[in-house]
Amino acid sequence: MKNLLAGVAIAALLAASPASAQTPPNVLVVGQIAEPQSLDPHVATAVNDFRIAVNVYDGLVRYADGTLEVEPSLATDWEVSEDGLVYTFTLRDDVTFHDGTPFNAEAVKFNFDRMLDESHPFYETGPFPLSFNFDSVEEVNVIDEFTVEFVHSEPFAPFLSNLAYPTGLIVSPAAVEEFGEDYGRNPVGTGPYQFVEWASNTRVVVERNADYWDGAPELEAVVFRPITDANTRVAEMLSGGIDVLVEVPADNVGTFEADANFTVHEQAGPHVWYVMLNAAEGPFSDVRVRQAANYAVNKEALVDDILQGTATVSDSPIPPAFNWAYNEDLEPYPYDPEMARELLAEAGAEGAEVTFYVTEGGSGMLDPITMGTAIQADLEAAGFEVNIETYEWNTFLGLVNAGLEDQADMAQMAWMTNDPDTLPFLTLRTEAWPDAGGFNSSYYSNEEVDELLNAARTATDQDERAELYKEMQAIVFEDAPWIFVANWQQGAVTSSAVENFELQPSFLLQLGDVTKR
Amino acid sequence: MSQLQAATTSPATSSRLSSWSLLLNNRLATGGLIILGLIALLAILAPILPLDDPNATSPADRLQPPLTEGHLLGTDQLGRDVLSRLIWGSQISIAVGLAATAIAALFGSIIGLVAGYAGGRTDNVMMRGIDMLMAFPYILLALAIVAVLGPSLINALYAIAIVNIPFFARNVRGVTVGLVSREFVDAARLSGKGHASILFTEVLPGVLPVIVITMSTTVGWMILETAGLSFLGLGAQPPQADLGSMLGEGRRVLFTAPHVSVIPGLMIFALVMSINLLGDGVRDVLDPRLRAGDLTRPRSMTRLERRSKPEPRIETDAILDVQGLETSFQKGRKTVPAVKDISFSLKKGECLGLIGESGSGKSVTALSLLGLVASPPGMITNGAVYIEGEDVFSRTETGVRALRGSKVAYVFQDPLTTLHPLFKVGDQIAEAILAHRRINRSEARSRALELMEKVGIRDAKERVDAFPHEMSGGQRQRIGIAMALANDPDIIIADEPTTALDVTVQARILDLLQDLRRERGMALLLITHDFGVVAQVCDRVAVMKDGDIVEAGITGEVLADPQHAYTRKLIACVPEIGQGKAFLEGLRPLFAEKQP
Amino acid sequence: MLGYIAKRLISAVPVLFGLSVIVFAIMALIPGDPATAILGAYATPENVERINRDLGLDRSLPEQYFAWITNVLQGDFGRSFRLNRPVLDEILERYSATLVLAGTSLVICSILGLLAGIVSAVRQFGWADRIITFFVLIGISMPAFWLGLLLILVFAVQWRLLPASGMYAIYGGGDLPDLLRHMILPATTLAVVATGVIARLTRAAMLEVLRQDFVRTARAKGLDERTVIYKHAFKAAFVSVIPVIGIQAGFVLGGAVYIETVFQWPGIGQMLVNAISTRDILLVQGGVLFVAASYVLFNLAADVFQALLDPRLKS
Repeated sequence: MKNLLAGVAIAALLAASPASAQTPPNVLVVGQIAEPQSLDPHVATAVNDFRIAVNVYDGLVRYADGTLEVEPSLATDWEVSEDGLVYTFTLRDDVTFHDGTPFNAEAVKFNFDRMLDESHPFYETGPFPLSFNFDSVEEVNVIDEFTVEFVHSEPFAPFLSNLAYPTGLIVSPAAVEEFGEDYGRNPVGTGPYQFVEWASNTRVVVERNADYWDGAPELEAVVFRPITDANTRVAEMLSGGIDVLVEVPADNVGTFEADANFTVHEQAGPHVWYVMLNAAEGPFSDVRVRQAANYAVNKEALVDDILQGTATVSDSPIPPAFNWAYNEDLEPYPYDPEMARELLAEAGAEGAEVTFYVTEGGSGMLDPITMGTAIQADLEAAGFEVNIETYEWNTFLGLVNAGLEDQADMAQMAWMTNDPDTLPFLTLRTEAWPDAGGFNSSYYSNEEVDELLNAARTATDQDERAELYKEMQAIVFEDAPWIFVANWQQGAVTSSAVENFELQPSFLLQLGDVTKR
Repeated sequence: MSQLQAATTSPATSSRLSSWSLLLNNRLATGGLIILGLIALLAILAPILPLDDPNATSPADRLQPPLTEGHLLGTDQLGRDVLSRLIWGSQISIAVGLAATAIAALFGSIIGLVAGYAGGRTDNVMMRGIDMLMAFPYILLALAIVAVLGPSLINALYAIAIVNIPFFARNVRGVTVGLVSREFVDAARLSGKGHASILFTEVLPGVLPVIVITMSTTVGWMILETAGLSFLGLGAQPPQADLGSMLGEGRRVLFTAPHVSVIPGLMIFALVMSINLLGDGVRDVLDPRLRAGDLTRPRSMTRLERRSKPEPRIETDAILDVQGLETSFQKGRKTVPAVKDISFSLKKGECLGLIGESGSGKSVTALSLLGLVASPPGMITNGAVYIEGEDVFSRTETGVRALRGSKVAYVFQDPLTTLHPLFKVGDQIAEAILAHRRINRSEARSRALELMEKVGIRDAKERVDAFPHEMSGGQRQRIGIAMALANDPDIIIADEPTTALDVTVQARILDLLQDLRRERGMALLLITHDFGVVAQVCDRVAVMKDGDIVEAGITGEVLADPQHAYTRKLIACVPEIGQGKAFLEGLRPLFAEKQP
Repeated sequence: MLGYIAKRLISAVPVLFGLSVIVFAIMALIPGDPATAILGAYATPENVERINRDLGLDRSLPEQYFAWITNVLQGDFGRSFRLNRPVLDEILERYSATLVLAGTSLVICSILGLLAGIVSAVRQFGWADRIITFFVLIGISMPAFWLGLLLILVFAVQWRLLPASGMYAIYGGGDLPDLLRHMILPATTLAVVATGVIARLTRAAMLEVLRQDFVRTARAKGLDERTVIYKHAFKAAFVSVIPVIGIQAGFVLGGAVYIETVFQWPGIGQMLVNAISTRDILLVQGGVLFVAASYVLFNLAADVFQALLDPRLKS
């Protein structure tokens, strides 16, 4: 017995001796927030999956470094017809997929037909939940080997921006044909890194594509490691087990900033965090009560104290990151509990009892329970009676997306989008009520807003669109369908050995130029 | 589990007062009670203590460290006072733990009672259901239940209660099955009582201690599990504080403000630990065997507390000479003698019968001779035992051990419990030889075989590898005798060697002992309650009553002319064949004074 | 013996069958559906309907159940829509990770628990007993998830002695020392409670056995105290503790749910928690069936082992 114990002790010592964890040289280890769902960019919906996808694939266009402006990628240039219905792209002629098959117009057509044409032989490899981004595309035509044309049923302004989003990334048709429904675990693209391995729950490995058309990366490989628990992720970063940490918990930013071994990166992006207010029934059907809620919540305290400055106060359904469309004239509702009480009294809604749906976590939700609790406390202080119900993310989405009617008066929500159109179009129009298949779960309805949004969508001139959006924002601000809370500044931490790392406003993680000493 | 079942065979009858004082006697349990009491007091007094509002947020003052002015234990991620939340949270955690325990106990006990009482198919179906619950990983079951019902403290409470029903059901069923076959239940049934009434008036009282014990040992566990669910975000809903959700929410800031999660963790720990301490105490009080101090480890030799130090060596022709032996038992703080100042002697080759009713102290005397009385509670308080003129108790423990099984060997009463159930009988005999002689194993084994043949076991070669339970009672006792003979002892002490056997076997065993004694010239101390046996075997007899030897002499003389009334009674208890009813008639006047 | 094993296995079948019905029913009752989980925020009614059709969730519940159970009986556990791979592949991979962790900590807690229990009983009321009783009490009162966090905080973050999470190093590694290094913290955390339980029961069993008549017989034979305690008493006590170890195996498997989440151990516990929250129905059903079956098998193994040591139970 004694020998056995001694043996165990020695084994433990041996195992413990090589002190701290070290990542291998010239291999970048990225701490992801979860196991990816699919590496098929047309199937994936989560930012977490996109972080890998954008390094394996290219789209026809991409966001220029540090902006949300579109620039050429696999397409060298494009033309838009006068009526805004036909887009013609000229493709690069020197690109091959990682599996050696050529990239050409046929491949582009295959990609979009797979998503949009129910009779396509590989349509069954879906579902493609984000294909509505291209709903206006009627057909994709091959003009010659390196020219392709998209014909739309109606003008659709966000089209190019949507092409730059991961749903527009180009996959290898040969690989889809080979792997069928397993393609999502065997991705093949044209990007700076090519897929090597996906070990379930352990890692996804991609290695440098030496023949990358836009210059091969210096890194030998990138390893994406899923660590779902935020604390564990931070612990791994602190103990040197990973080189890059994304979605840094707000409270840990200070720790990393104070430590010379780490660099903290911040970047504002098109993110909106809000609380939807049920406009169809209950106290929030009165606009004064909705405004009262906006006055009652101390948003400064939320972003400065609870989120530790990793967000800014929001005042609109369009985040400031879309600088051309954002209405600079708006000022957030000030923190004014007095005003809130007055409005409540005016509406005769003092002591109104409301149910508040809060989630435990989820894409872009920041620190939902703490934030929800703080909001609850502020509302109570102004004279509401708020009951919180917390749900795990998927249950939460199931409940909220079905509409709040007969269930709740308020619900948290956050969106990250790639075009100013997306969020208001999906969540504020009358035609986007849940029974019509939209995400307007709190039943806001204003004809003027509906008209402005429809007009902005079909206008092809950016200045014209901007005017329409600004007008829409002013109306929505007054109507207060939501408590406008925060725009997130995403944060990332890298170890000091990592260079040329930059966060993008698109929330996509481009690692092609990153080096590691 | 066997402990629990034993607990109910004699329902706790002692008064509440003595239970309390017993509980308080247990220092650990008292400590637990004090800590728990303090926490409970704080929790109950929460509304009148000068505490901050547990839900008042103040984001600007968030994550203040402990000992900050105005916040003794600091503030959490929303600037709420940790001390206040801790106390309010304890209140909720304790309440939920108790409620979940009560619900689990109620439903678990009902299932256990019904299954145990009904038996047969009902029992089978119910217990298979319980098996299913047990096979389901408990946290996942709780997770799934909460997922179905929706997250809230009440639903977490239900989930925890459901997950713990099997423990109660199984414990209660086990005890119920034991009780249902007892006479008083049959009697109740015959008297025409309904099933429900029998269950609740006859069976339930017997099961109650088990329920209480199971509750006291699971309530801590329940609090842990509720905290676990809240930790996973499935319990208390914000802003309500319970210890688990404080821990779960505080965990997000573990690296920057560890106190937010460490403090509630410590509180859970202190709470559960105090409950466990108290639960152990409660179990000790309700479990009668533990109460008697039976579960203390016996020493390898009886404790010696002799009032006077006798001569270590005397001149005597007796091989065994007992002088003024007193053996006592500790009962609480008192020391009660069980054997008082007894003396007798045994010459080489002689047989002395020590006779008396049960409780007369004869077995204690026998065991005392080589310090085999379990201690605690037993101890030798006076006197000496001389073997070949040398006092046993003046020897070292090793010295006493050298006597055991070599010079003096024992044959015990019930060979089923006195033989080790897990070793082969041959090995057990061989072991006795190897304890005193340096021979190799195969020699020991062949010697064991010889001994088995010697004591009359047929097919000894096959039986040598048998286990005790595979033999009949008589055969087992022969093995016991073979074991005693292993080292050619000079004295054999046989403690009721035939009592557990039926009459014909009894006679054969006595013949065997008698033959061996004559053949080998051994002295035999035979302990019995049966004058018939004494008359058959013993040269001399000593009669014991209440720890005293009341009469001693040559067997024939004592039988012919008993001096003591007690001796007369014992003799009269031996019936003669053909005596019939006259036997009882003859007994009656002797015992008349005992009738009220 | 073989007959006994066969009988026990057969009696486990209805338990597992009933369990599969319960799991199925629970998954059907849980609000939220796979479609929402797949589609995330973009779950429009059309998409939801299509996915439900793809997954066969538009059929009636009995139909779904019988389709599933028929396939399972043929060894086909279906395909996890969330992970895009066969359920069985995922389960086997995760299950082996859990077995490595739970098995190790079961070995640790059995050895430590038995040793501590014996020492505690033999030195009853002595210092060793008090110290062990104290630590055992700490062990069984400790919230395991909290202990895990503290260990990470101290050993991985403060001292940087051990990795904070995972099963293998990301690059290189993959050998036994690497695995051991990753296993120390989670296995310790997982073993703490079970060690306490086993130690307590061993102590009680030893004290009970030391009172038995056959121990007195052993002493009366003149055996030395070591033989009496470690051979005679321990064997009998051990036999009665074995089923407890079997039950602890179940608890260790259950406790793995927390520990795997805290330490990011890619085991079946973590898989099931994720699968429940993503409504990955087939994965939950298959996984629970596996865990339950192994619980039944562990207990059977414990009983068989007990019967091997205790000849009285064979008959």
